[in-house]
Amino acid sequence: MKIACQEQLLPGATLQEKWEFATAAGYDGIELRGKGDRSFRDRLPELRQAKADGVVMPTVCVDMLHFFGAFDPDQRADAIVQMKDELSVIGELGGLGAQTPASYGMFSRRLPPFEPPRDEAGDREVLLDGLRQLGEHAAAEGVELFLEPLNRYEDHMVNRLDQAAELIQAVGLDSVRIGIDSYHMNIEETDPSASIVAQAAYIGHVQLSDSNRFQPGAGHLDWAAFLGALDAIGYDRYLAVECRLTGDPVEAVRSIPAVVRRYV
Amino acid sequence: MTTSPQPNLRQAAERVLLGNWIGHSTVPSRSLYPHQWSWDSAFIAIGLRHLSPRRAQVELESLLGSQWADGRIPHISFSPAVARDAYFPGPDFWQASTAGGVETSGIIQPPVHALAAWLTHRADEAESVRRGFLARIYPKLVAWHTYLRTRRDLGGRGLVAIVHPWESGMDNSPAWDAALARVTPAPLDSFTRRDTDHASTTDRPTDLDYGRYVQLAATYRDHGYDDSRTPFEFALEDPAFNALLITSEHALADIAEALGLDPAHHLKAAEELTGALGALFSEGLFHARDLRGEGLVDAGTISGLIPLIVPELPQATELLATARGERFGLGRVHLVPSYDLTGPEFERKRYWRGPSWFNTAWLIHRGLVCRGEQELADKLRADLLELAGSTDFAEYVDPYDGSPRGAQTFSWTAALALDLLSCS
Repeated sequence: MKIACQEQLLPGATLQEKWEFATAAGYDGIELRGKGDRSFRDRLPELRQAKADGVVMPTVCVDMLHFFGAFDPDQRADAIVQMKDELSVIGELGGLGAQTPASYGMFSRRLPPFEPPRDEAGDREVLLDGLRQLGEHAAAEGVELFLEPLNRYEDHMVNRLDQAAELIQAVGLDSVRIGIDSYHMNIEETDPSASIVAQAAYIGHVQLSDSNRFQPGAGHLDWAAFLGALDAIGYDRYLAVECRLTGDPVEAVRSIPAVVRRYV
Repeated sequence: MTTSPQPNLRQAAERVLLGNWIGHSTVPSRSLYPHQWSWDSAFIAIGLRHLSPRRAQVELESLLGSQWADGRIPHISFSPAVARDAYFPGPDFWQASTAGGVETSGIIQPPVHALAAWLTHRADEAESVRRGFLARIYPKLVAWHTYLRTRRDLGGRGLVAIVHPWESGMDNSPAWDAALARVTPAPLDSFTRRDTDHASTTDRPTDLDYGRYVQLAATYRDHGYDDSRTPFEFALEDPAFNALLITSEHALADIAEALGLDPAHHLKAAEELTGALGALFSEGLFHARDLRGEGLVDAGTISGLIPLIVPELPQATELLATARGERFGLGRVHLVPSYDLTGPEFERKRYWRGPSWFNTAWLIHRGLVCRGEQELADKLRADLLELAGSTDFAEYVDPYDGSPRGAQTFSWTAALALDLLSCS
């Protein structure tokens, strides 16, 4: 398994400077963040140059406030456009894929008003349509779309790996996989390790943060059991650090590979 | 593909342990053994420590959560999430629970726990110290050993006696035949076996013997599991049980030292037990002593070889010769057979009457390493790892052809394979 760090966590003004720090700290890649308004597409010259300079950028994670599962049809359509950009760009960089949740911060069944404006059948129709469009685009670009289950307070549609796997089965495209996140799994899965084994065939990407969303090692997640399960299923791609930082931010980022490498 | 279609042995063993974990402990087998078993948990922790030191600690802590006030660790801690009749004898038969309300059996199993606790601590000392693992578990392990050495020294010779074949962990061993034959079986219509639901009846104990097991347990239960009051029809000093207690006393000495406590009384206990164990040695092998019969039992079983793990064992050279000889064929058959290959009761497929187990092989391997017999140890290790993989982690195997018997994806088989893989 290889370790990547999201770009905004790394010190440095350019990707090249960030890469220098990342490799010195023991990272194997940088996970990009894909902002909206076609800005990720517009970064292509910068990213091409970074690749030419040796920066490894296997994945991109969406960084917007509306998503392909949005209630609003215009926001959905825009999210699809932005995600297609991300898939195309990461494909051009020779990467693996792009990660997105169904939604984030749009609705929670655990918070008032508790009942969403769209029923479950409506959610499902929207999700399957979006996954199909993005999955077909990903396949055409030779990459994968990673659907990320979020915890119940951040999304009301896809919270667990089994829900994501069921949607992926329904879509029927190999180019759609699950992008798992240890923080959300710690909240939602009965046994995160067992869920990894159960959904092994669908897992395409992994993001790491601890039980408190800080860097691995700063919380109480059983990393041995979590990463041991990924080892057990033969996962050999990237573990991308996506977290908040506690303590000195530079030292916190520098500390992560050693924590993770204890177990992989 | 991001996952390997054909997992290697380590990955396969990890999958078994992850699959059999139920949140606080590991079931020995999803199909045959749905609760927590005492010595299984100890062997499981020895392997689980390589996958998750924290889970290995929790495995032992949860087992000790069902420890009785008198110090005994019951051989089964029942899961309330499992149907009450899923396993026989279940909680309704044993009618035993701790002050905290955990339903358990009333008998015990061999004391591998302190050894497992020490090895678990060693796997990640920082995590162990952070969780206060040794400090919390040490007094419980001391209480367990104190129970054994005071309440269970039924022969008054300084050795622990078992009062039921199941307490040996080697339930159907020929070593128990003569003692068991004296027991009037419980009527066959008074209970329903569940052990044959998922395993071949030809591998499991006979109905008649099962009736005797039930009767012995019922008598103990009906006397409140009081060791001073129960008229034990079955009472034997088992070599493996006592050898494991000696090894665990050495482990308690290590734990005491790590906690800054005086280890002397544990070393003294180990020395006394090692001396007393010598009385069970006859003709190159340790034998069980029948406290209700005529002294040492003739049957030669794997139990008699287990003292190889005891440090500074005076009889080690002779014992090793027996292990390598025609009776156990060490290095020439698969693992180490549970019973003398030349014995009259040998059956290559029947439970503890000939087949080879992975936990006893692991113990013999540890004994061989301890004695500096590296070549034999390496050969046994290679055989264990090969068989663990080829049998999908069988409960036990035919010693001649290595074919799997009993349950598969068996937790301690996976755990002990993982341990030998990790300690290479």
